[in-house]
Amino acid sequence: MKCIKPLAKWAGAAILYTMVMPSSAFSQEKPDLSDPEIASVAVAANQIDINYAEIAKEKSKNADILEFAQTMANDHKAVIAQAVALVTKLGVTPKDNAVTQKLQGDAEKTKKMLRSKSGAAFNKAYIDNEVAYHKAVISAVEDLLIPESDNKELKELLQNVVPALKTHLMHAEMVQKKFSK
Amino acid sequence: MKNYKALMRNHLYLLFSLLFIGGCTNKTETPVHKVYTVEIRQMQFQPAELTVQKGDTVIWINRDIVQHDVTEEKSKAWTSSPLSAGQSWKLVASENADYYCSIHQVMKGKLLVQ
Repeated sequence: MKCIKPLAKWAGAAILYTMVMPSSAFSQEKPDLSDPEIASVAVAANQIDINYAEIAKEKSKNADILEFAQTMANDHKAVIAQAVALVTKLGVTPKDNAVTQKLQGDAEKTKKMLRSKSGAAFNKAYIDNEVAYHKAVISAVEDLLIPESDNKELKELLQNVVPALKTHLMHAEMVQKKFSK
Repeated sequence: MKNYKALMRNHLYLLFSLLFIGGCTNKTETPVHKVYTVEIRQMQFQPAELTVQKGDTVIWINRDIVQHDVTEEKSKAWTSSPLSAGQSWKLVASENADYYCSIHQVMKGKLLVQ
């Protein structure tokens, strides 16, 4: 059993490395995360998408983009609330770590890119980023955060979030098609 | 005495007649309608397709942590409005409907009314 976990970690990291954008924070090699660090990554990943949604609500006038952004803001706030309730119950304090810092650093660059665009170019950039971001987050949750988490309730919370992330991805891809014509 | 017996006989006839009519009336006026539940869980309507009889009641209950709604897809003929975690909404089925969650537009369900 001891052999399986490092192997799974390596496989997860390898999959992330090949599937996710090279600049993504999730593609770091074999990050070894404790549960408080996983909680920190999970909260940061959700907050980043809320921040992208806030920019979309400021800059876009497109109904599809605005509806999608509002859904992202609402859903990711609900996930954060659930995560905060769990860490409070467990008496765990989310711990800052290299993955969280890299995520936030990448997000700052993406926000700067989004803020530099307007009109149709903004809408396309926003929804393209949502598709890429959700793909990266799904891979990270399935292949890194879930295998790494030790606490049963934390693992279950992460597993329960995956269907929502996959639905967000399908929704984003549906909206993306409207902007690729 | 004869009058008393005749009166009693008439009363019995009346009583049986009323019971007979009542029995017939009850059978025709109380069709049995069922109640069905669709759970919204893991971002899916479960079951995604449901067959009911006209007049049956369908209850949708949100078991997810995020808000959902239940909206008729073609003409938005009916909608639940947003349902938070644990909230439910019911509809008396009258006709076939394709429905979806207008918040997460890829979530779809089908109601078949016989």
